[in-house]
Amino acid sequence: MAGKTLRCMIVTPECAVLDEVADSVILPLFDGDSGVLPGREPLIGKLRSGELRLGGTSSKSLFIDGGFVQVVRDTVTILTPRALLAEQIDQSAAQKVLEAPSQPSTSSSAMADRLVATTRARAQLKVARSR
Amino acid sequence: MAKTRELVGRRKAIRNIRKITRTMELIATARFKKALDRAQEAQAYTAKIAELARDLAGSGASASHPLLEDRPRPKKVVLLVICSNRGLCGGYNGSILREANIKLRKIREDGAICRLELSGKRAISYFRFQRVDADETFIHFEDKPRFDQVEEVAEKYLKMFLSGEIDRVEVASMRFISAARQSVAVQTLLPLGGLPQKSDGATPTQPVEYEFAPSAQSILDDLLPASFKQRLFKCFLDAAVSEQIARRVTMKAATENADGIIKTISRQYNRARQAQITKEIAEVIGGAAALE
Repeated sequence: MAGKTLRCMIVTPECAVLDEVADSVILPLFDGDSGVLPGREPLIGKLRSGELRLGGTSSKSLFIDGGFVQVVRDTVTILTPRALLAEQIDQSAAQKVLEAPSQPSTSSSAMADRLVATTRARAQLKVARSR
Repeated sequence: MAKTRELVGRRKAIRNIRKITRTMELIATARFKKALDRAQEAQAYTAKIAELARDLAGSGASASHPLLEDRPRPKKVVLLVICSNRGLCGGYNGSILREANIKLRKIREDGAICRLELSGKRAISYFRFQRVDADETFIHFEDKPRFDQVEEVAEKYLKMFLSGEIDRVEVASMRFISAARQSVAVQTLLPLGGLPQKSDGATPTQPVEYEFAPSAQSILDDLLPASFKQRLFKCFLDAAVSEQIARRVTMKAATENADGIIKTISRQYNRARQAQITKEIAEVIGGAAALE
């Protein structure tokens, strides 16, 4: 059953972003990065905003904005609201979010929003620079 | 003489209109294909969400979530009407607005407060004419609705629903069934009527023993909002596809009508011309006879 390669699919509500074969996939799971190799046990997991790396002949790095992952029969399916290839990332916009003066948050929800935005921007920059 | 001149002018005008409607038909056809492609690409996501939900439910996650709870006797209901920004698409907007109006009246009869949200200039001007105030209007959903835009609206509904501000979300829009069939539907998007399910009713493959990170229940809890967003997005995509189909059909009919009118006018013109020639000949002969 265990093949030599993994098939990695990324789908967003708008379109299928990617469908490629890779030797390994590194996922940004909700509690830390996790690697997937061919022959892995089936898994369903929650993702955070972060970097997704494909290893192998087509080495690639993408930014994904949370979502879910399903690994079954050497197929990794990623469901995410947004996925960006390294070259699609707007670095200056992400930089701007990080550099924006952090105003003293008045409410906890504003603070949470800010935290989400900065995490997202940081992850985008990381992906863009590692290219 | 005056009659033929006038007919020529009218024929020319109708030819010009025909050119315009024919072009609009072609544009609508091209846009329809693009919109349909987008709608089909989105289906992969919907199918996958349904698959995940089934697998999660299969491994013991119970379906008890605030988003699933039906609230009897809703006090406040959101009615979102999705129309087009532009006209010239036949009965498309009219049929949606009719259904929306019926629903609006029914909600009010049931004693609930209706929060009316409108998308598309046609819906806005219709309700303004009816002197019904809308609580919120959108005009930025064109023929290519983006997920980011829809997500914003969806987030707002989720927040309002979970805080108890609203008890129900209804969406009146055109549902795309096939290229030849669309129908108006008023769907209840919140509360979600059960777990997302596969529409094709495919037989499930043998259950797989999954490892869950973190737990099946907490993933399911996160999956439900995502599923709601996807359903709302699908409403907008369907509306975009249906609008283009409606426009294409209408413009095709208009072009055919123009063809018919051109034919009629051409016939009238030929008759008038012939009558004039006959009259002139008669006059010439009459004149020559008088000289003899």
